[in-house]
Amino acid sequence: MGVDIDSCIERLYLGQILEEREVEQVCRALRLLLAEEANVVAISAPVTVIGDVHGQFYDLLEIFSIGGRCPDTNYLFLGDYVDRGHHSVETISLLACLKLRYPQRIHLLRGNHESRNITKTYGFYAECIHKYKGSAQTWHEFTEVFDYLALAVTIDDSIFCVHGGLSPSIQHVDQLRVVDRFEEIPHEGALADILWSDPDAEIRGFGRSQRGAGYTFGGDVVERFLHINGMSHILRAHQLCMEGYLVQFNDRLSTVWSAPNYCYRCGNVASLLKVDPYLQRDFITFEAAP
Amino acid sequence: MSVDSAPPAASAAGAAAVAPHYDFQDAQSGDLGALAAIADAMKSDSLADRLESLKRLGVLALAMGEERTREELVPFLDESIDDEDELLLSLAEVLGDFVQYVGGPKYAYVLLRPLENLAAAEETVVREKAVESINKLVEVMDQPQVEEFLIPTIARLSSGEWFTSRSSAAGLYAAAYGKVTDAIQAKLRAGYDALCKDETPMIRRAAAANLEGLVARIEKDHVVSFAIPNFRRLAGDDQDSVRLLTVEPLVAITKRLDTDECRQLLGESVQRLCVDKSWRVRYMVADHFVAVATNVKDRGLQDELFGVAIALMHDNEAEVRGAICTQLDGLADLAPPDAIVARLQGPLQELVDDPSQHVRATLAKHIGALCRVFGKDGSITHLLPLLLRLLKDSFPDVRLNIISKLDAVDRVVGIDSLSQSLLPAIVELAEDKQWRVRLAIIDYVPLIASQLGVHFFDEQLSNLCMSWLGDPVFSIREAATTNLKKLTDVFGVDWARATIIPKILAMATHPNYLYRMTTIFAITTIAPSVTPEIVRDLILPALEGLVTDPIPNIRFNVAKSMEPLTAALRRSPETAPLEGSVIRPTLARLEEDSDPDVRFFAHRSLLAIGSA
Repeated sequence: MGVDIDSCIERLYLGQILEEREVEQVCRALRLLLAEEANVVAISAPVTVIGDVHGQFYDLLEIFSIGGRCPDTNYLFLGDYVDRGHHSVETISLLACLKLRYPQRIHLLRGNHESRNITKTYGFYAECIHKYKGSAQTWHEFTEVFDYLALAVTIDDSIFCVHGGLSPSIQHVDQLRVVDRFEEIPHEGALADILWSDPDAEIRGFGRSQRGAGYTFGGDVVERFLHINGMSHILRAHQLCMEGYLVQFNDRLSTVWSAPNYCYRCGNVASLLKVDPYLQRDFITFEAAP
Repeated sequence: MSVDSAPPAASAAGAAAVAPHYDFQDAQSGDLGALAAIADAMKSDSLADRLESLKRLGVLALAMGEERTREELVPFLDESIDDEDELLLSLAEVLGDFVQYVGGPKYAYVLLRPLENLAAAEETVVREKAVESINKLVEVMDQPQVEEFLIPTIARLSSGEWFTSRSSAAGLYAAAYGKVTDAIQAKLRAGYDALCKDETPMIRRAAAANLEGLVARIEKDHVVSFAIPNFRRLAGDDQDSVRLLTVEPLVAITKRLDTDECRQLLGESVQRLCVDKSWRVRYMVADHFVAVATNVKDRGLQDELFGVAIALMHDNEAEVRGAICTQLDGLADLAPPDAIVARLQGPLQELVDDPSQHVRATLAKHIGALCRVFGKDGSITHLLPLLLRLLKDSFPDVRLNIISKLDAVDRVVGIDSLSQSLLPAIVELAEDKQWRVRLAIIDYVPLIASQLGVHFFDEQLSNLCMSWLGDPVFSIREAATTNLKKLTDVFGVDWARATIIPKILAMATHPNYLYRMTTIFAITTIAPSVTPEIVRDLILPALEGLVTDPIPNIRFNVAKSMEPLTAALRRSPETAPLEGSVIRPTLARLEEDSDPDVRFFAHRSLLAIGSA
């Protein structure tokens, strides 16, 4: 590739954004790489799992300070890299470059914010325009990349990881494997559900979601899904947790949230989840970087 | 401007979609095409292009030659003054270095015209840069130039209608003063007087801020007849933002006067500033206290000032109390030692209990400096109890600051007296919930270790240092490995071999991969500090097991570590052959690994050691 990826990564760690043409080259190369990834990627533990980051770049650096640098530590990010925080460009640029450089060591899932419509409303588009002097080119490049991001990951065939949750259209993981993911997130259907759904301890089966996309799902749905697919646990993000994480349904589902003091005012703690080779799960909580 | 221009169509069409990218890479003075690009970019619609071309102005100037630069380029720049602030700032900076392009110091004055306009710009940073650039030019201008061109500039700016030009003017007097005749100096002083009396507070602030520079250059009589009256006037200004800026000029003035003059001429003003009703003024005084007091020279006045310092330790405002604490070291010289000990005891006790954690933290940082004045017995009796209380403070920064300044205490008192309390304090900090507090204490361990000695360390601190290697937070583990290297440098290789190396290597079989990784990092960090024999006998065998570790991250870090280990082995002819018998074959195996990152780092290490 024509771009010096190590130099890009070095600069990004210092908070310097890439030039527009570097973003173009990185995104182009990344799309080629991601096109080869399946919708559901199988990885092995150990891995450190990260929830929503939402443009909080300095907290991303904090994550690396606590969890270790990539590639020494393996990472799985569950999506929602952009919007709301003030440094979405730096965040997605660094993660994109790391994925390009160490594709085996870091995996990036798609979140509901990895979408053209959503980023036009919640800040990423505006930030690109501002940081690239009126040009929307980088936003176009990144949102193209988002179409290519994988939808789910399985860790040692036992832990199922998505951004949002489950879908009434998907009982078996194989059904997810055959979805055509290379498009803008639709308003409904399996792709939308996976990225938008939330667990709900009060209900059984699927229910209407207040978010206007996806569904809510109860513990019975989780049990059935895990049973049918021979898995032990679901990891997801998508919902703010004041304590940084939340374990539900008899330790069958966990939510990881990695944006401390969300929107710079929620005052919440964040967490990262270490999964060891024996699939033991260990949460580390942390606060916003000073 | 008559440099060949590229056809204008290019820039118009380009500006529509994405800004045209001017490729200035080959802009050497011979390349006319590139020069045309620079000239053209200066008129571009895109600010980014105009900025880029401005940075390359020197190249254009070189091509045009000195005369044309003076007669065409500089006036052209003068005309483009009406532009965005970012560009004006860049222009102000560029002009400051432009003397070489206009024909050398004797033509420096041609740059004054555009800079004068920039000095009157609306945006503060542009004005400040313009003033800075003019002052740069003055350094190379000779007296006739200064008198003919700079003085009128100063006069015009000082009588400008807008506050912008007048406030810039204040910054130009000092540099000019040294290069003019007595008669003109008198005019400059008169001009500055007017600025000090200006009805706009912003100008008076500029006058106060720049007075220090002027005081340094004027003759002694004028210090008394010109500087002091202006100082007094500004020190009594009704705006506290003006008054607080007089503290630094005050210090400059005291340096020029002798003892009697200080007492007579300044005594009253100084005291009034010390009890000013605005806390921001008192803060400035407190922060510069020692500078003011030392230069005042009169012993009686100094003694009074010491009393004032004590009063500031009781000030209502925490910032002021904090500021005076930063001056403790110098304060201790303002009176005889017995007086210091007697008068400081009470206030110090109160400061240890200050409600503001910032004040206590600042106190903790500076209290150690008092040991030298209190002497050994005085420190043990009066200061040690305070230090011990601060070591138990609830705010971690207070405790950390005491620990960071232990050497000042050690020199007078000897740390043994502290060591009983020191250890619990260190342990508590080392287990703090906030990882940054844990990180800070790790940084101090080598210092403490070197002062307390290997025995104390082995008994009390060794376990702590090893436990940090297993901290859940990566940055702590990383700092812990650096710590071990520093300890090896302090206590020596034999100690390391006996105590810490076995423990590090034991972690190589830990079930958690992050800790096995720490072993590799620790080994790599320590390798330069240990003997090649240790590498051969202890380290390489431990690594052998990790070469076939199931986790790829471990394997590629082993590959990376081969580079520093090879460097270590090469230091001795006995161990050097291991490079061929062990290192290279290992790397060759890893080059065939199933994981791409392992292959990459193995290959890279082979290249690195191969080339040596």
